[in-house]
Formats: sequence, C-alpha cells, structure tokens
Amino acid sequence: MMQKMISKEKISDLIKELQKEFKVFGPVKEEGVVLFKEITDAKEICLDYSNSKIPAKSVLFPMIDTLFSYKKEGKGVKIIENPPYEKTVIFGIRPCDSMVFSLFKNFFSFGKYKDPLVLNRLKNITIIGMGCLEPRTTCFCTSVNGGPFNKESVDVLITEFKDNYYLESITDKGEALIKKIKSLTDADKGDLAKIEKLQKDIESAIPVIEGLDGIYTKLDGLFDHPMWKMESQGCIGCGSCTYLCPTCHCFDVLDENKQDGSGRRIRIWDTCQFPLFTLETSGHNPRTTKLPRVRQRIFHKFNYYPKNYNIIGCVGCGRCIINCPVSSDIRNIFISVENISSKTEG
Amino acid sequence: MVINIIDDIEKSIRETAKKLLEEKKVDLIIGYTKGSIPLRSGPCFITDASQTGMLVWNQSCDLNLAKYLAKNDDRKIGIISKGCVGRAIVHLIVEKQLNKENITIIGISCEGVLNRAKIMVEIGDKEIIEANIEDNKIIIKGKDFNKTLPLQDYINQLCITCHYKIPPISDIIIGNKKPEKPPKDDFKDLNEIESKSSNDKMEYFKKELNRCIRCYACREACPMCYCSLCFIDQNKPVWFGKTADISDNFIFHMIRAFHVAGRCVSCGACSSVCPMGIDLNFITRKLEKIVKERFDFESGINLEAPPPMGTHKFDDKQEFMIEED
Amino acid sequence: MQLESPYIPVLTTIKSIVRENEVNDIKTFEFVFNDEENYKKFDYVAGQFAELSVFGVGECPIGIASSPTEKGSIKFTVKKAGEVTAALHNLEVGDIVGIRGPLGNGWPVEEMKGKNLVIIGGGFAFSTLRSLTIFASHEDNRKNYGDLTVIYGNRESGEVLYRDILEEWEKRDDINVVLTIDREQEGWTRKVGFVAPIVKEVSPSPEKAVAIVCGPPIMIKTTQDVLKELKFSDEQILLSLEMRMKCGIGKCGRCNVGNKFVCLDGPVFSQAELNKLPKEY
Repeated sequence: MMQKMISKEKISDLIKELQKEFKVFGPVKEEGVVLFKEITDAKEICLDYSNSKIPAKSVLFPMIDTLFSYKKEGKGVKIIENPPYEKTVIFGIRPCDSMVFSLFKNFFSFGKYKDPLVLNRLKNITIIGMGCLEPRTTCFCTSVNGGPFNKESVDVLITEFKDNYYLESITDKGEALIKKIKSLTDADKGDLAKIEKLQKDIESAIPVIEGLDGIYTKLDGLFDHPMWKMESQGCIGCGSCTYLCPTCHCFDVLDENKQDGSGRRIRIWDTCQFPLFTLETSGHNPRTTKLPRVRQRIFHKFNYYPKNYNIIGCVGCGRCIINCPVSSDIRNIFISVENISSKTEG
Repeated sequence: MVINIIDDIEKSIRETAKKLLEEKKVDLIIGYTKGSIPLRSGPCFITDASQTGMLVWNQSCDLNLAKYLAKNDDRKIGIISKGCVGRAIVHLIVEKQLNKENITIIGISCEGVLNRAKIMVEIGDKEIIEANIEDNKIIIKGKDFNKTLPLQDYINQLCITCHYKIPPISDIIIGNKKPEKPPKDDFKDLNEIESKSSNDKMEYFKKELNRCIRCYACREACPMCYCSLCFIDQNKPVWFGKTADISDNFIFHMIRAFHVAGRCVSCGACSSVCPMGIDLNFITRKLEKIVKERFDFESGINLEAPPPMGTHKFDDKQEFMIEED
Repeated sequence: MQLESPYIPVLTTIKSIVRENEVNDIKTFEFVFNDEENYKKFDYVAGQFAELSVFGVGECPIGIASSPTEKGSIKFTVKKAGEVTAALHNLEVGDIVGIRGPLGNGWPVEEMKGKNLVIIGGGFAFSTLRSLTIFASHEDNRKNYGDLTVIYGNRESGEVLYRDILEEWEKRDDINVVLTIDREQEGWTRKVGFVAPIVKEVSPSPEKAVAIVCGPPIMIKTTQDVLKELKFSDEQILLSLEMRMKCGIGKCGRCNVGNKFVCLDGPVFSQAELNKLPKEY
C-alpha cells in the first residue's frame, strides 16, 4: 500500500499527467446533470458532487455500444471489428458505483460466453475511486456489502481531507499508477490517522437496513405473495429506476444503416420494466402487467443474482429512490419482505 | 397565508375520503401521499377508511392521478383532482377512455406545484434533507447549508398561467370554490423561445433533448399517452430509432408532443417526472397555443366539445394545401 | 489480447430455399458457410438454435432444422413473423446471411441413449424435432435408441412441413410415424384429430421412454395431461421453450426466467426443471 497526497487546487495537474497515458473519464456537470464523460479539458472535472445522475457504468456499458460494423458490397458483406480498447482511467467514481465493476466482471464472464466489450474495457481500466464524504439519506451501501470508502473494487482510493486529496493504492495496478505521477507528494502521516477516523465515522453513520443480507432466501417463498400488488400499483412503468441503476445491464440489439450500405450493429440500454422487453413475435408476453415487471427487477437483483453469482445485484446508491417519478422507495420493499418473513417464521 | 389554506385542504381531503369510504360511496380513493424524500409525493390507493391519514396535499403533488384510472376498472373510485387532473378526466371521457359513472371527482383548488428541476439546479448536487414551505418561501435544509427560495419563482410555469385551478366538473370541491383566475392567457412565456432564430431554437432543443435517456417517464406519466402500442415501440416494422442519440430523441419527443396536441391538459407531469430535468413543457406549451389560436379549443374543459384533432370542419384552415382541387 | 466476440456472426450463403406450406409463410433455408473453418466450428446437436442475421435489419433466433448427420450445410425453417424473418423471406439463393451459433443446450441426445423416444410435435414447431428424428434414425445412431415414435399434428394438410422426409420415415419399419390433422380433409389418408387424443390413442409406454414435446402452448398443455395419464413422470417430459431473445448468449437479460436464461440454460428443459421455475415463460 502506498499513500500519497495532492492539494485540491493542483488536481488538474494530476488529470493532465494521467491524460498523457490514458483516456480519462471523470464526473462532469452538463446542464445541471453530473455524468461520467471523457475529460478533454482537466478543468471540466467536477469533484464537488454527491453522486453522478447517470452511473459510471456508462463507461463500461455505454448507452449506445457498437458490437461491430459492416459494409455491404454487392451481394457480399464485410464485417469490421471494433478497434482495440484504449487504456483508460476512471477518476472520481464513488466506491458504491465501482462495486459494479466486479459485479459486471462476474456477470459478463458468466456461462459459456464472455462479453468481449465489457471485459476488454475492464482489463484496460484503472479505477481511481473517491471516498464519499457525504452519503445521502437514501444511501444504504453498508447494507449491501459496500461502504463509502470501500476498497473492494478500486485500484486507488482518494479521500478528501481539508485542502488535500489523499490517495491510497489498493491494488498493484493502482500502486504502479500512483508511483508514476509526479504531481503527488508523500502523504502527511499526521493526517492519516485522522482520515481513518473520519472514514469510520462517516461509514458508521449510514443507517443499516436489517436483514438485507438474508433477503435472497426470504424472497424464495414470496414470488406469488400479494405484496407485489401493493408494491407495483403506483408504478407507471418507466425505465428511470433501471436506466439510472448502476447494476442494470439488460440491452436490446439493433442495426443502424447508412445510405451507402455500411452500418453497425449496436446494443442499447433496455429494461425489464417495458412490456416490449419480453413481448414475443407471436404476441405472447410472459410479463404482461406491471406487477411481474416490478417483481422481476427485485428478484433479479436480490434473488437471481445471489443464486447465480453469489453477490447482491444492488450497490445501495439510492438512485432508484431519488429518481422514481412516483416516489416508490425500494427500501419499503425490503421492509415488507422482512415483515412478511418474520411473521411466517414466528 | 398559503400554508394554512393548504393544511385545511389536506385535512378536508382526509375527512372527505374517510367519509366516502365509510359510507361505501367509493371502493377506492386515489390521492397523493408523502414521498420518502423531501419535496416529493407519490400516489396512494386507499380502500380502508382508517388509512386516509396518509393522504397529503401540498405543492409537491405533481403527478396527474388520472393516469391511474382505466375504462375497464369497475371499482367505484374517488380521485383527488386538482384542476389538471379534472381536465384529464374530462378529456379522457371525451375520447371515450373513461366512464364517468364510476368516478367521484374530489376537486381541489390548486395554487400550483413546484418545479423541482429548477430547485435542483439552484441547489446544485447537494442533498435536500428537509424542506418546508412557509409564508410563500421554500425553506431548504441540507447537511451544511440552508437556503430560502421565493415560492413564486419556483412554481411551474404552466401553473402560473393555469386558468383551471379546480376541475371543470367535480362531485365535491375542497378549498376555494371560485379561485381567482390569472388574466387571459397571452402565452407571453413563449415569447423568448419564439423570438429565437431557427438555428437558435434548434440549438435549444438539442441542448434539452440531448440529456434524454429514453426512460419514457414522460410518456408513462402523461394521462393522454394511453396508446396500447406507442408509435415509438412499433417494431413490425420498426418505425423510428430507439437509441438515446439526439436525432432519435428529437423524433420521439416531437412526435409525442404532436400526438398530444389539442389533448394535452397542461398538467406538466411530463416535466415533473423527468429524471434528467428536461423541460418538456416548452414543446407542449407551444402546441397548446397553436391549438388555441387555430381552433379556439382547450382540452378537458367541456364534455360536449369535440376535440379538434378528432373532427373536421369545412372551414378549418388549410393553408398548407397548395393546390385547389 | 482482445477476446473473440460472440456477437459477430460468421458469413454463410443461401444454397437452397424450400417453400414449406401452401400459404407460403414458412420456408426452409439451407446455408453453406463461406469459410469452411467456420463450418467445422459449428458443432451442434439437435435442439440447438442460432441467431440469423440479415445485415441492416437485425438478428433473430431460429431453431436448427437440419441434423448434424446431414453434412455440408445447415438448415433453418423460418416462419415470416417479424421484421428479420420477413427480410429473410425476401432473400434469394446466393444471398449472404450471418449466423451466430450453435446456441442453447439442445436435446439431450447422449442422456437419451438406450431410451424409447416419443417425439411429439405440432405445427411449425417441428423443426428441431426434424433434426432430432433424422439424427436418431441415422444409421450411425439408430442402434443407440429404442423405439422411435413420431407424432406430428397440424391444423390442415397444407401446413405439414417436410413432406418428403416424412414419407421416407413412413416407409421405414424402425420409425413409427403418426401424422394427424385437426379435421377431415379431402385426400388426407392419415389420422384426424388433435395431437393430445392421438397421443392417447398411440399410447406410448412410459417404460424407459422420453417424451419430447414441441408445439403451440395449448397443444403442449393438453399433451402433458395425456402423458401424465400414461404415467410419464415430469423428468421424462422434455420441452423446448420459446422466449423473446436478442443476444442468445445469456447477456441481454430478456429471456431470464427465475435464475435461468432460456437461451443459455435452455431452450430445452424437462418438465421437472420447469416446475422449479416461476411461470414467466
């Protein structure tokens, strides 16, 4: 482990140094919305944010992602593969969102087929996470195996302290990276203990949702429970909870053509909340109403994920709570599940 | 004081709902309840008179509850209706999408709802931990900040120009039964955008619509978007692109707006629910103006008035027809 | 090193197109791989499917109709239903089609060795059963299986697929072929009646048997009831699920049922396996 620091005002020097070797993605504010974008000008980076509106999954799994391109010539077709992915740094991602990287690694390499787009990106990405000094009241990361300074899925963890950023290398990749950066100085040893205390204080202040770690087995018996009628009656069936969820990764595949016979096959974000998601050409739809669609979202994250990959498909960022147009709160579902299962046990 | 009126309305809503349920005049009350975060509300569905305490009424009640009504629902429903909810119900009846018999309209005199997106731009990315509305001020508390905003500046533009504070038809009215109407709607709020050059307008549209992530919250919240298969979802064959690319976004929002022209009840729900804070009303408002000017029609006001897009009159303007037949 | 992409199809050329039914909305396409190496890699079993690409229109998952024993090319029977299948129907011999596969698990041809196979199909869903029957009745494989019964029903005679091969099977004495249509029709000399009652009439013994059922939902439902009456256990009934699919490799999420993905863990499931899944298919 290596600990370094940099004064806040010099942060663009650090970004500029990174840009020499990497594509750098970081939080940027556009029209009042914070999202992760490639940083072209080091000044653009916006580190005074609680969390991005659009999660940084968009770097690994962009809203529009080219699977391959093609060119039709006469009767023939030529397939053009994507260019290799460049070395990339994701700078300033919150530790909750970075959990998604290990989650995606699990999911996209699961089974017989590996997803080359996500996995190639993962291989080439170094993650510089930024500890979360001000968790929102909607955050519940510590209930889903995360934390505001969780080191599990970052290569380097930054903690803001007074006028400085403190950088701690977590992985070898992270250590190799911060060794190279000239604008960093050795960490002020006196502050390190204070930082550790600060981290602990912030983490312990986040309320814990009881029983969430055991929700997987509790859900097993609740598939046909009337609770889903209650939980889904206000849902209007939009995709904001899933599109803005850092772990949701379902997609649609389509072809885009240009006039000249060239084109590309792309995948775009799609969601289990739309009726079309499961509508078959025959007209049959296994999930025709909102109830099974709302239930699918919960089961996929909290039952199927643990069953298949032994992880919870939720990082506790609270985006679905903040962005739901009808103020549906996923924490209420946790409470219902807990209440129902404790009743049946008792 | 606004706050007291609102408190009184809330109290009356609860009492009225309780009475309706107890007397079995309705099977279900659809109203607003408190959201789990400040300045938010959600829908609630109450069948048990003892639960009516969860009903709220305040400036965060921005959804159009008419969305939860359906023609094939044979329950007797009491619905808390601000003016635009009432307008939506009327227009849906005109379009033969609802049966009035089963619906009890509990009309509420509404003084407008908040433009949350505007507040969020003002606050930045900070979290609002507590918010209260007192003396025409929005008092916001965060972890390390306090902010007081003048209420009037953060009321939806559509609410400011709204002439229908109470539903055009109501079975019960709560609050001010003859609310003061603003002067004749002159659509002055459109002056700024209308005076822009075509290029600048395009830039403005692009800037707004570029953020769209295609979650369709606008469509799903809109009481007039009830098509069983939306044009954008047509896939046999595909009619339009479904990506979040600006050209696809542009097509979606423009055609959706066209499709609600002469039907939009100016509730502003599309803007209120947009997670990206896109002000979609800027399009619908312009169409409202065109419909008013060309057809002298406002949707959801009159059960007898045929909707202009669903009727043809021989004297309809048709200057777009270049050739005489 | 970059990973090889399972999203990229290999190129094939249409060798032949056979019109399968009178209304002409079902055609069987035969494809040869443009690169022989890709054909060698396309190592499939009956019951698997592939994603067919019409470049510029899109992809659709289709069950493989040919048997691995039919060397040199692969076949797919395609009903014109959505956009991609309509585009496929407009193609001609010599046109290029992309193929990704083989995908899915397929019929458990190894596990079924030594068993009597009762193959029951209805309508257009017979394609992977064609594959299975040809495979099991092939001279190299016939000895591995016991009795081979094929029950195939259609609404009317004009809808019967694969007439030539059905007639060949009828001539063989090691396959019991039972063809049926819903109602009497002039010129039809085989059975008349729905599939389920015909299964009851044929009354296959559950002893050392596996029933393989493919068809429209109502046929599946009624046939299952008959099989239960005949004392087939849920483990002995195999079904192939239809689900909306896109990627075909367990990533896009739409064929997720319970913790399974139909494209990856299926499409073939035993009734016993399905009993453990939510009824969301």
